[in-house]
Amino acid sequence: MVDINEAVRSIQATFGTKIRSADRVREIPVVTAAKQDIPAIASHIHRASDLRGTLSLQWAVDLRPRQAAYRLYYLFTLGRGTWLILMTELSGEDRLFPSITPRIHAAKWYEREIRDMFGLIAEGHPDLRRLVRHEHWPKGTHPLKKDFSWNHLMGRQDGEYHFRQIEGEGVFEVPVGPIHAGIIEPGHFRFSVAGEPIMQLEVRHFWKHRGVEKLFENLMWSEGVALAERVSGDTSFGHSLCYCQAVEALIGVEVPSRAEYLRTFFLELERLHNHIGDVGAICNDAAYALALAHCGRMKERIMQINDSLTGSRFLRGVNVVGGTSVDLSLDGVTMIEHTLKEIQEDFSDLARILFHNASLTDRLETTGVLKERTARDHGVMGVVGRASSIDRDVRRDHPFAAYGHLTFKVPIYRYGDVRARLRVRIDEVHETIGLILQALENLPAGPISTAMSSAPRPGDWALSAVEGWRGEILYFVMAGEEGKVHRCKVRDPSFVIWPAIQFAVLGNIIPDFPLINKSFNLSYAGTDL
Amino acid sequence: MFRIIRKSLKTGKVTGQYPAPTQPQPEVSDTVREKASVLGRSLTIREVDTGSCNGCEMEMNALMNPVYDAERFGIHIAASPRHADALVVTGPVTVNMERALKDVYAATPDPKLVIALGDCACDCGMFKGSYAVTGPVERHIPVDVKIAGCPPRPSEILGALRKVQGR
Ligand code: SF4
Repeated sequence: MVDINEAVRSIQATFGTKIRSADRVREIPVVTAAKQDIPAIASHIHRASDLRGTLSLQWAVDLRPRQAAYRLYYLFTLGRGTWLILMTELSGEDRLFPSITPRIHAAKWYEREIRDMFGLIAEGHPDLRRLVRHEHWPKGTHPLKKDFSWNHLMGRQDGEYHFRQIEGEGVFEVPVGPIHAGIIEPGHFRFSVAGEPIMQLEVRHFWKHRGVEKLFENLMWSEGVALAERVSGDTSFGHSLCYCQAVEALIGVEVPSRAEYLRTFFLELERLHNHIGDVGAICNDAAYALALAHCGRMKERIMQINDSLTGSRFLRGVNVVGGTSVDLSLDGVTMIEHTLKEIQEDFSDLARILFHNASLTDRLETTGVLKERTARDHGVMGVVGRASSIDRDVRRDHPFAAYGHLTFKVPIYRYGDVRARLRVRIDEVHETIGLILQALENLPAGPISTAMSSAPRPGDWALSAVEGWRGEILYFVMAGEEGKVHRCKVRDPSFVIWPAIQFAVLGNIIPDFPLINKSFNLSYAGTDL
Repeated sequence: MFRIIRKSLKTGKVTGQYPAPTQPQPEVSDTVREKASVLGRSLTIREVDTGSCNGCEMEMNALMNPVYDAERFGIHIAASPRHADALVVTGPVTVNMERALKDVYAATPDPKLVIALGDCACDCGMFKGSYAVTGPVERHIPVDVKIAGCPPRPSEILGALRKVQGR
């Protein structure tokens, strides 16, 4: 574990008066510096052997109307789970800030996103093409600026996105999407191939951009839960939990311990049906439809349990600020314990069949390798990270809900191929069932929610993290006037992992792309927002 | 091999093991049924996501699992709009997907039925009015059937599709 006080002292010692201040906001150290010093400090946090910070999130806030300034935040995770925030301010008419991308690769998409959403330009960024705003968005459209209205009627202009190109004899491009051949979300993939192997892949996303972050600013903080549930439907519970935790930290609500256990239970239930579904879908993309049929059936069974317990197959409406709205009855608990034991046995049978299938293993092994180094450079975590030796799991490193009281293992694999990602999921299915049984066994009695009393002070903010089934979900919520949300930064793990997939496919053949893509199974909606 | 057979025998038949839909079935007009009648017993669907949260997608996918097994009613998923009888559209139409939706519609052969799936596709749901959303599906292409719900349960989707098929 990195000692955070030690870390802050070492940064202050290295940079002296360049560090303008070092405060604490809800335990998280916030180091402030002038914008021109940010690249050096960020790079130090990233590289220094005693810090080794991973850039986990970078975002901007428009402080108007209170203050004519923009604030830029850089969240670093030191070691496994210690947070440190670096902050700078751009005041007045200043629209430029120095890019850290040349030194920290993980900043690449964040800085492009900030430019699109706020019109703030990262000077020295190697790639300043548009990211969220497709070319037909008129010039000067920056939705998260406070003077841009949420229901602005967008015009249209002409423009073309320039894909990176490889030229040479026998090299040709294969465009795929945005609409794909299955029931999947839209996204565009541009492959450059020479013969069979992929030489380059460029992912072009944000087709589904719905303006989620702007819509949050329209809501009272208690209303944001329903929107958070719709950021990425398959992670409804993970997102709403993360949002609730941030708001609860803001208003200082203590969540009753029964609710903490229930949240753990539901979050694991969400992980369970998604992981089981993924195991089937990955095998299906290697033409092993039997697994899909069995997993589809098990997944359906769990979703029906969700429905019978909460009235929603996606566990929507369960989280509320201050706790949960749904309780479990004693009968419910017995039914779940019984069913889960059956599912565990059912799933183990299937796993044995899968591992005995040599031709399946042959398709999965050495396919789509994400190297540990690449994963680190991109800040990859979650299931994909754990299959590439990245030993991070918010449940263990930053315990939330009831995880601090429960025991579980975090499976880590080294090879980073499709099979490793499949194995992480299979192992996690068992861990998850174990966690659910523990949570139910220790379920404390008592109320399931606390009433909200105070309102947050405008300008106050909180950050929260949840290990969703894909990986680390982050929410930054800043309170606005009259109980509204001033800014809500949403980060689904998919946003971080998408750029990494471009490296995992290199040297593989296009027919293996669906398989690789499925083994990552990232959310398009959660990325595009 | 034995393992696989044993597993199948142990599992038995799961098709149809789901609770009956509780929501009222969507309206399917006679004109729509008439339009669908040339398709006989089969209905081939192209699913188009124009900005959903992927909840509706997940339920469409669930339709194909052994429990709902929509294929038993002749409902297939096509890989291209050129092979489709019907488009199932999910999500509010985002500014970035508007063109793609119109292209897909143009590429679908007659009698193209359009089914708007989920509250978002029917009236933009929570995303109504956003700068990045250009309106519900029917603002861009004619919609024949609307299935409400956020997301509608697979049993409800299946019921609606069966109604389109005239059963
Ligand atoms: S209707 Fe609901 S589930 Fe369907 S896309 Fe919209 S928000 Fe998601």
